[in-house]
Amino acid sequence: MDGKVIVVTSGKGGVGKTTITASIGAALALQGKRVVVVDMDIGLRNLDVVMGLENRIVFNIVDIIKNRCKIKQAAIKDRRIDNLFLIPASQSDDKDAIKPENMVWLANKLRKEFDITLLDCPAGIEQGFRNSVVAADEALVVCTPEVSSVRDADRIIGLLYAQSISPKLIVNRIVPKMVENGDMLSHEDVVDVLSIDLIGLIEMDDRVVVSANTGMPLVLQEDSKAGKAMQRIAMRLDGHPDLPIENPMIQKGFWKKLGSKFSRKN
Amino acid sequence: MNFNSLLKKLMNKPGSKTIAKKRLQFALLTDKLEIKTDTLADLQRDLVDVISRYFEIDKQSMKIDIQRSEEHSALIFNTPIIAAHRRREIPAT
Ligand SMILES: Nc1ncnc2c1ncn2[C@@H]1O[C@H](COP(=O)(O)OP(=O)(O)OP(=O)(O)O)[C@@H](O)[C@H]1O
Ligand SMILES: [Mg+2]
Repeated sequence: MDGKVIVVTSGKGGVGKTTITASIGAALALQGKRVVVVDMDIGLRNLDVVMGLENRIVFNIVDIIKNRCKIKQAAIKDRRIDNLFLIPASQSDDKDAIKPENMVWLANKLRKEFDITLLDCPAGIEQGFRNSVVAADEALVVCTPEVSSVRDADRIIGLLYAQSISPKLIVNRIVPKMVENGDMLSHEDVVDVLSIDLIGLIEMDDRVVVSANTGMPLVLQEDSKAGKAMQRIAMRLDGHPDLPIENPMIQKGFWKKLGSKFSRKN
Repeated sequence: MNFNSLLKKLMNKPGSKTIAKKRLQFALLTDKLEIKTDTLADLQRDLVDVISRYFEIDKQSMKIDIQRSEEHSALIFNTPIIAAHRRREIPAT
């Protein structure tokens, strides 16, 4: 059976697409899937460093498209996690080095080799976005609980629907304390405004920065709440669509817990 | 819930997210009303077809536009009527 191709996209930049692609890819591989993650940001590659694989790059995606190497030669195998591969972006080529038809061809090849292909889409709605979307079967839209980010997500969702893809939403960088204080949109607010299915909630987590610093996969860090949330998203993508979505909450001590029992109104 | 947020709740002071949500809903609405010029031209052609079945109108001086204000948006369609067609007779059964 052919594998599926999932694009991770957002519209607005810097909301966590690359972090999420790397972590969900790793989580799916740990769950036993054969996974390839592809950096679609031609000219500004990033996924390689987030995954700690930057010094292993020989060939890149443009080399594959231009027939300068085989897919197998460009796909870097992660030595820490079995069945996880990365196809890096090219750092020197132009954004339009890849045409949509090239990506359709590549995606078909990848479907034969891998259970799951994750495309890390660049920000924006230009060539890189179009290339990723034509090749994809499914889409994950990432946003943060901020006005500009949610608005851009809405635009992206519209464009995906126009391509007959019904995306699922990930809300990232949630700060539970601010949500509770009423100073950050809650995920209910975001879902209410975008009216789309939710697939995961990820909170702001220092471990994400530590993982990006060291290149050590987030999902291998025991104490990362964001990592745990990514693992649950991976399970939802892989056979457990109904796994409950946990709402990030403030860690409460005994007294605070007791206090909230009395002050909770609804 | 900490003391500050409790105080906020007691004083019934909504957090900034209430403003965020309102702004967001408005932005999404106006974003969607931003229609391509082509779409508007298509709509105008269709409208002329339909209206011409009932009225004789001056197709040249007809105007279609979207007007936006802070409160709401409206589709404004303006055409002088030259004459009303006679009501079609209902065919006898
Ligand atoms: N849940 C989180 N907690 C803390 N930091 C985070 C979280 N998610 C992402 N970040 C940080 O936010 C920054 C942007 O993340 P990332 O590079 O994954 O975004 P992106 O959407 O891929 O950006 P671009 O649009 O530039 O490709 C990074 O520094 C990352 O470490
Ligand atoms: Mg990125």
